[in-house]
Amino acid sequence: MASPVIQVHDLRKIYMVGEREAGVLAAVRSLVRRRTRAIRAVDGITFHVDAGEIVGFLGPNGAGKTTTLKMLAGLLHPTEGDARVLGFRPWERDREYLRRMTLVMGQRNQLIWDIPVVDSFELNRAIYNIPPEAYRQTVEELVALLELGPLLHKPVRNLSLGERMKCEIAASLLHRPRVLFLDEPTIGLDVTMQRRIRGFVAEYNRRTGATVLLTSHYMADVEALCRRVIVIHHGVLLFDGALEALVERFSPFKLITVELADLPARDLSAYGQVVRQDEGTVTLRVPKAITPEVTGRLLADLEVLDLTVQDPPIEEVIEQVFAQPEETTLATGNGELRPELL
Amino acid sequence: MHYLRLFLTYLKLGLLAELEYRANFWIQLVQTAMELALALGGLAVVFRHTGDLGGWRPAELLALLGVYFLIGGLIRTMVRPSMQKFMEDIRKGTLDFTLTKPADAQVLVSIQRFELWKITDVGVGIALLAIALGRLSDSVGPLQAAMFGLTLLSGGLIVYSVWLILATFSFWFVKVENILVIFMTMYEAARWPVTIYPPWLRWILTFLIPVAFATTVPAQAVTGRMDPTTLGIAAGMAGILLVVSRAFWLYGLRFYSGASA
Repeated sequence: MASPVIQVHDLRKIYMVGEREAGVLAAVRSLVRRRTRAIRAVDGITFHVDAGEIVGFLGPNGAGKTTTLKMLAGLLHPTEGDARVLGFRPWERDREYLRRMTLVMGQRNQLIWDIPVVDSFELNRAIYNIPPEAYRQTVEELVALLELGPLLHKPVRNLSLGERMKCEIAASLLHRPRVLFLDEPTIGLDVTMQRRIRGFVAEYNRRTGATVLLTSHYMADVEALCRRVIVIHHGVLLFDGALEALVERFSPFKLITVELADLPARDLSAYGQVVRQDEGTVTLRVPKAITPEVTGRLLADLEVLDLTVQDPPIEEVIEQVFAQPEETTLATGNGELRPELL
Repeated sequence: MHYLRLFLTYLKLGLLAELEYRANFWIQLVQTAMELALALGGLAVVFRHTGDLGGWRPAELLALLGVYFLIGGLIRTMVRPSMQKFMEDIRKGTLDFTLTKPADAQVLVSIQRFELWKITDVGVGIALLAIALGRLSDSVGPLQAAMFGLTLLSGGLIVYSVWLILATFSFWFVKVENILVIFMTMYEAARWPVTIYPPWLRWILTFLIPVAFATTVPAQAVTGRMDPTTLGIAAGMAGILLVVSRAFWLYGLRFYSGASA
């Protein structure tokens, strides 16, 4: 079996950040001497990703996602630990490595503002030394997949946010990278555009077999693209495994929605926690274990028009994960408990 | 070869970007004309009172002014825009894009932006030099021309290295535009031969912010007052600063990737 494309071992990054109290005096004092504080942005994470996988990298703001991505993209030196991507140590920034990977940052642009998109592409072609034939083919393919045709000859400043993002992504893929680091590629985009970009990433992965590590705050992205997710929080790996397993593990609840005949809706708090209550429709949160029993009681006691049982939305599950205290012990993908937490 | 093609690509993109704002060209032309008028007016005022300034005759000072415009134009066309973009990239975090490219980051940073209309200054510089040389034709032979070329190149490299060193500080301080303003002010002083300044200021302009090498020294070469020692110092200084600025850049880069968020 081929070795994993991305191998991360006990990676740590500690920042020293300047700190000062509010006020002019403190600001002036800090010109001379800055007090610093250590921030453990990434605190020992270990995982690996196989070729062709799309892995979702989840965590709240400040969890350490971007820091990890930057280390893997060779922008940051880790404080401790090691990582290999395609066999290279990223922060050594071997040209061969840089030629095979790409970093897309949803919040930042590399396209040149005042000139047409296609000219920015030309620049990347020159930087990556892409042979003309390969370049022509790749551009053609990307234009078709992302529907860039009408955009190519417009100056970047005239594009909408979504159009710009499509072009940014295309510019980052001209050299046909084997590994993609996508840092919130759909941020700020409308739902249609998000879906389009998601579809593109899936298709690109299918066609090229490229490995993708993706962060996003939109669960829809993750649900659509990633069968596997890695959750980090406070710089520590909380979960690594299938998305369904995450739901299973962190949500010991089901949601029961009942539509009742007798309006106005009655108080159902005796059956479970009432999450929502509209005209005649009530949603209850019920522990998984007693869901069948509660369902039975509801059907027996009330005049029910309709009843559905669902898993809670993934956002809610994630929220619950992040609400966990820092020391909570959690499993790795194989369901093993992390030894140091036992 | 790769870098030459990159340079030409950036040049082309610079031109494209400038063509988007054509009015800038005319504004720049007016600005250059005003600067030129001011500079020539200054010369006229000086030479109404004296026949030579610290040993420099009018035509020789005209040559110096030509070099001043030429190098100044090159700074404003290539060096300053690229360094400003670099500092902007640090502030906005977009330097990350440069650093993930498979090419030398210093080269990418140094050639990444052109303000081509500023090339009018270069044109004026060349014209002034041509006029001055026409008047000085008796004292300028092939040797002087060669020395001029060499000192001009050294001066250019020295100025570039100093800019790189100053810009590299933004890895730590983020905003260092003010240092660059100081540089441009010092450069203004270099429109006169440094030999007319008091020793302390001459020292500053020669070694601390070595603009003297960019203007006075090439002008000395072209007016036949250059001794081999000065030539050696200029070339040596260029070599040393190139190495030092490269080392400092690499050090700053290590700091960046060690600490930035």
